[in-house]
Amino acid sequence: MAAAVVSRGFGLGRPGWKAKRDVVRTVFLARIKIITRYKGAIFMEALLPIVFAAMPVLLGTTVAGANAGAVFEERVGTSNFRLYMLIGAATFTVVSLMLWLIGYWVRREQETGTLESLYLAPARRIYVLAGVTSYAFVRAMIAFLIAILLGSVVFQVNPFEQGMGLAIVFLAIGFLPLWGLAFMFGAFIMKIKEADAVIQVLQWVLSFLMGVFYPLTLLPVYLQTVVKLFPPTVMTDGVRASLLGINFLYNSAFASLAVLFAMALVVPLLGYKVFESTERRLRRKEGVGHY
Amino acid sequence: MDTIIRVQDLSKTFTTKERKKGQKKRKRVVEALKDVNLEVFAGENFGLLGPNGAGKTTLIKCLTTLLLPTTGTAWVNGYNIEKEEDMVRASLGCMLMGDRGLYWKLTGRENLDYFGALYHVPRDVRAKRIEYLIDLLKLEEFAHRTVETYSSGQKMLLAFAKALVNDAPILFFDEPTVTMDVPTARELRRIVRALNLEEGKTIVYTTHLMHEAEELCARVAIIDRGEIIALGTPNELKASLVREDVVKMEGLLPASVVGKIRAIPGVREVSVQAAPDGRASLAVTCANSRHLLPRIIEAATGNGASIEYIKPQDVTLEDVFLTKTGRSLAEDTREVVKEVARGGGRG
Repeated sequence: MAAAVVSRGFGLGRPGWKAKRDVVRTVFLARIKIITRYKGAIFMEALLPIVFAAMPVLLGTTVAGANAGAVFEERVGTSNFRLYMLIGAATFTVVSLMLWLIGYWVRREQETGTLESLYLAPARRIYVLAGVTSYAFVRAMIAFLIAILLGSVVFQVNPFEQGMGLAIVFLAIGFLPLWGLAFMFGAFIMKIKEADAVIQVLQWVLSFLMGVFYPLTLLPVYLQTVVKLFPPTVMTDGVRASLLGINFLYNSAFASLAVLFAMALVVPLLGYKVFESTERRLRRKEGVGHY
Repeated sequence: MDTIIRVQDLSKTFTTKERKKGQKKRKRVVEALKDVNLEVFAGENFGLLGPNGAGKTTLIKCLTTLLLPTTGTAWVNGYNIEKEEDMVRASLGCMLMGDRGLYWKLTGRENLDYFGALYHVPRDVRAKRIEYLIDLLKLEEFAHRTVETYSSGQKMLLAFAKALVNDAPILFFDEPTVTMDVPTARELRRIVRALNLEEGKTIVYTTHLMHEAEELCARVAIIDRGEIIALGTPNELKASLVREDVVKMEGLLPASVVGKIRAIPGVREVSVQAAPDGRASLAVTCANSRHLLPRIIEAATGNGASIEYIKPQDVTLEDVFLTKTGRSLAEDTREVVKEVARGGGRG
């Protein structure tokens, strides 16, 4: 292995790619092992989007009655408001889970002392974070797929009629800026040493910014400009527009994908830089493990 | 001897906020370390001794890269703690937080594998190393169980194994025996000694237990209020004290014995406590009890005394600390250097 071996001992100060890959793999597997030891956790979180989507579906049906589909089509471009809500709730769950898992991971590690143990080891944080975010990605995808499949039965809708491939592309590219946001969120939690309250507030702010249950065209123009720059909004809109055949946020699938791709290049780097500088500031002060 | 750890003018200052009911919020500046200079030699078992708040853990956290110093710097295994953090970390095995720092939902074996990967120990080497450590520390009985089912002592043993997983040349142990029962603590000290003597590991061992420091460490630094106030072998430190020893003696002691003992050169004072049954208890204060003890015994027995109990009181590292600071090791010595009132006093 092309790496500097410490004068004695097995550890490597400058590891090769195999050792780096081993860190990502080990962290990922450890997280999976831990969650599977909490029985039923993954399945239960997949039920949330169905419950979450059921509320506006029932409200819409109550308000508009038999005309619900027609009224919705007038404003949104599709009468399939059930699938619209289901996709919105499922992608929101993905975004929420990603941020929640990273933020809560940082806080939990701080409380249990494992964060200091991580900082004692020579493994670079980027590889540890890659392991954790990969786990968050897998967990979020499982929740998304179960929610979509189970939800399509509950709401009697077919999400596979059109644009599934394009929706997956939006989802896959959308995960990258989401990682960046998760790093920033993790840095913020590490600094303020509180996760629950922030996550509670953020859930609602996020669902509003992402237009989970409504078209963004209903927002004032200045707010539309703001939310268009928010990566989860572009991702949700892309997935929904692909599956329902409605207008994209940036007018075409190509334009929306291009914007999301640009975000995928910039936001993770920015997020990691924010994480690194927060971590360094904390080490200048009381230390990362201070809780 | 080669220097493996060098600390140069290292200082660390913390700012904390204090909120007392009915008082203004106060910003407290705490000087945890003040211009510390220190050298630890390769293959040495080095002790850091001091009361709570003295700065031991802060110094270790700086050396292990968990904290960045406010001023000054240090080199560990030849690597600078601020510029070559990864190499410093790869040179160390640490047990700093007792049984914290373990994943409770993972088994002991899984925890060791996890941290082995973070230290970039190759997988095949890691597997063998883990089995070796399980055998060395007798973890076999519980290594397959999740950590949440462990007793405090078992968690401490696993944390100790975690510090050894990368077989690092330098080991930091911060009060490792603190929650262990007596036999386990004794066994752990035996292993620490073997790691030092048989495997040549450099060990930095912090403790507030004098007997541990005396038993394990070749050299000891006594730290107080963020400063190294004494440094040397335990015997050098004890010998450096100019203090009076006390020899306690009990038995049937005729009155003439007191005068004879008082006449011995070097004896400063003899106090007597007589009991109703004719027995007496003497406290002989002298310059050097080890040196004078044979003459004291001779003076007593040669004048008709029957000694039932005699014990010179030894100098301990606690005495060294007491003499140098006027305080006991049990005291908390965090030093606030500045207090600044802030806010509107809402309590």
